[in-house]
Amino acid sequence: MSRRRSFALCAVVACLVAVAGLGAEPSPADTPADVLISRHLAEAQGIASGDVIRLSTEASGAQARRVRVRGIYEPMPDPLELNDNKFKVRLHLPDLLAMTARSDDPLAAETVDGLNIALTNPADAASFSRDLMARVPGVLARPIQRAMGRASVFVVLERFHLAIALVTIFASTVFLLALSVMVVDERRDTVGVLRLIGLTSRRVLAQVFVEGLVIAAGGALFGLVLALGSEQVINRYFQWHYNTTLIFVRVTPKVALQCLAIAVPLGVLASVTASWLLLRKQVMALARR
Amino acid sequence: MNAFLFAWRSLVRQPSRTLLGVLGVAAVGALLFDMLMLSNGLVLSMQSMLGRTGFAIRVSASESPLPGSGQVIRDAATIARVLADVRGVAAAVPVRYGDGEVLRATGAQSAAFIRVLGARDTGQRVWTMADGSRMDGDAMRGHIVINERLARLLGRKPGDQLRLRASCGGTTAAPAVTLQLAGIARFQFDDPDDVTAGTALEDFDRACGGDGQAVADQILVATTEGSEDADVRAAISRARPDLHPFTNAQMVAQLQAGGLSYFRQISLVLTTVTIAFAFLLVTVLLTVSVNQRVGEIAALRALGLSQRRVIADVLWESVLLVGSGALLAIPAGLVLARALDSILKAIPGVPDELHFFVYQPQALWVHGGLFAVTALLAAAYPMRLVATLPIAGTLRKEIVG
Repeated sequence: MSRRRSFALCAVVACLVAVAGLGAEPSPADTPADVLISRHLAEAQGIASGDVIRLSTEASGAQARRVRVRGIYEPMPDPLELNDNKFKVRLHLPDLLAMTARSDDPLAAETVDGLNIALTNPADAASFSRDLMARVPGVLARPIQRAMGRASVFVVLERFHLAIALVTIFASTVFLLALSVMVVDERRDTVGVLRLIGLTSRRVLAQVFVEGLVIAAGGALFGLVLALGSEQVINRYFQWHYNTTLIFVRVTPKVALQCLAIAVPLGVLASVTASWLLLRKQVMALARR
Repeated sequence: MNAFLFAWRSLVRQPSRTLLGVLGVAAVGALLFDMLMLSNGLVLSMQSMLGRTGFAIRVSASESPLPGSGQVIRDAATIARVLADVRGVAAAVPVRYGDGEVLRATGAQSAAFIRVLGARDTGQRVWTMADGSRMDGDAMRGHIVINERLARLLGRKPGDQLRLRASCGGTTAAPAVTLQLAGIARFQFDDPDDVTAGTALEDFDRACGGDGQAVADQILVATTEGSEDADVRAAISRARPDLHPFTNAQMVAQLQAGGLSYFRQISLVLTTVTIAFAFLLVTVLLTVSVNQRVGEIAALRALGLSQRRVIADVLWESVLLVGSGALLAIPAGLVLARALDSILKAIPGVPDELHFFVYQPQALWVHGGLFAVTALLAAAYPMRLVATLPIAGTLRKEIVG
């Protein structure tokens, strides 16, 4: 069953913007064109697949055209479009041109914003654009520098996150070391007795090493479980906040291994260093004699 | 000896653990301080940058204060004159933004892809000359100014001819126009990698394939001293109801709701994590420290020290540990902020003058407040331990042990 609706939306389609207006007039077109609409628009306006809606390029809704919703699509999650308008409509290019073409421009129906060209060898982009501009005067051809720019945004953000991670690792190491110093100090008497009954410093250190390894591995595994749990919480919160299917946090095997590779040696190092500082002292001093 | 001095001596008696504790708090505190600076930094920096441009209001043909919506202001020179007569307006400068290319002296080969700015300026507000002769208004016609980076790239000097082909959001570019290089200029919002050129609005239109009309993306409005931006904005709306004026504050608010929210979110998440980490760190340190000294505390209680007094000792220890760390965190945070800022400024398109981490007194107060609460909360459990410590039982256990 088809329904008629009026609503305001902004849609980016084939690099053009289509705007539907409130209080649109009935479409002059006899056969509604097929369109796809984004999930966000469908949810906000209660539009279902098969509905007939009216689209207009005017904010007033003038010159509206009837279109049929053939399907609802999930826009490709793009971190750079987190805060952009998510109300989108996809039309076939001729339908869009028919809506946007100016009557006083004879070439309007043949006009597009740009052509995306895939090259057999992407490395030829610069020379191709030069050749094209030389052969077709009036055409501006540019390699996709913007796409490179987008990628480098994430490279920079990755560096930023890494820098924060390094500060956190430093703070954690200091924390671990402080804790180890206190724990080892608490066991000063025990260590003193062990040394008095004949155990070598190396033997005591080996024991501390194994103990530190077990504790560090346990702590790191607990941390991973905590990260896996919080991964869901963080993703769900931000997906709700930004109304997107984008995944914000992902604990991959590589990330898990990196964490283990950093946390376990650091934990062991903190225990061994703290113990070594204590074991350097004379046996009698350890036994407080 | 009062509780403060007693706590001080307790900490000094264990220098390594105290030092490590303070260092841990300082590292976490530095990150916290940075996140507080980041939460509002971009907004403050953007506000300050927009304020420095000298334009308080941006007039647009669309409902967006940012250029690039596709709607342009036609007959911009006439409209700018109308706006200049509005009460509170000191100057109205139409500007147009686009991309273009500088062609080689002969042929159609490109020498450089550039950012192009067209303006009808009468006060050197949109760009300032670094080298060469200053040209305003109609005198600018037929001339072009370029930034230093572009001058180096092209190897051109004032007086040389440049062939410019531009694109003003359309698809095609007309045959190149030849302009005379008037000088080297500094452009607002340039990032270190930008190659930028500026020309007269009419020349820009010709370079875009137009017939030399004054078409603008925006009209930048400077207000007179003492006038309120909101009042001037309202007056512009009355004078030209078909246009949309935005104050700098409105523009920043729109950016804040949009693209800048990522840094607010990450700052919120990291602030929460760092403060929880600081709480955990101090609680563990104090608890272990108290547990190691239960015998000593029980002995002091047996000697006559009140319950309140031993609680105060623990609280002061927490305050000294957290306070010292929090104080150290401020210079450390400022240094770290510079490093993090330089990392983020590598994002393409970020102007030289924009900063992500901006110091503000409010950040300092929030930093202090959060650490004060952390010191209190972190001391709560160890304080409960010493408050409920059974004196006789503890002493007996110590002696038997």
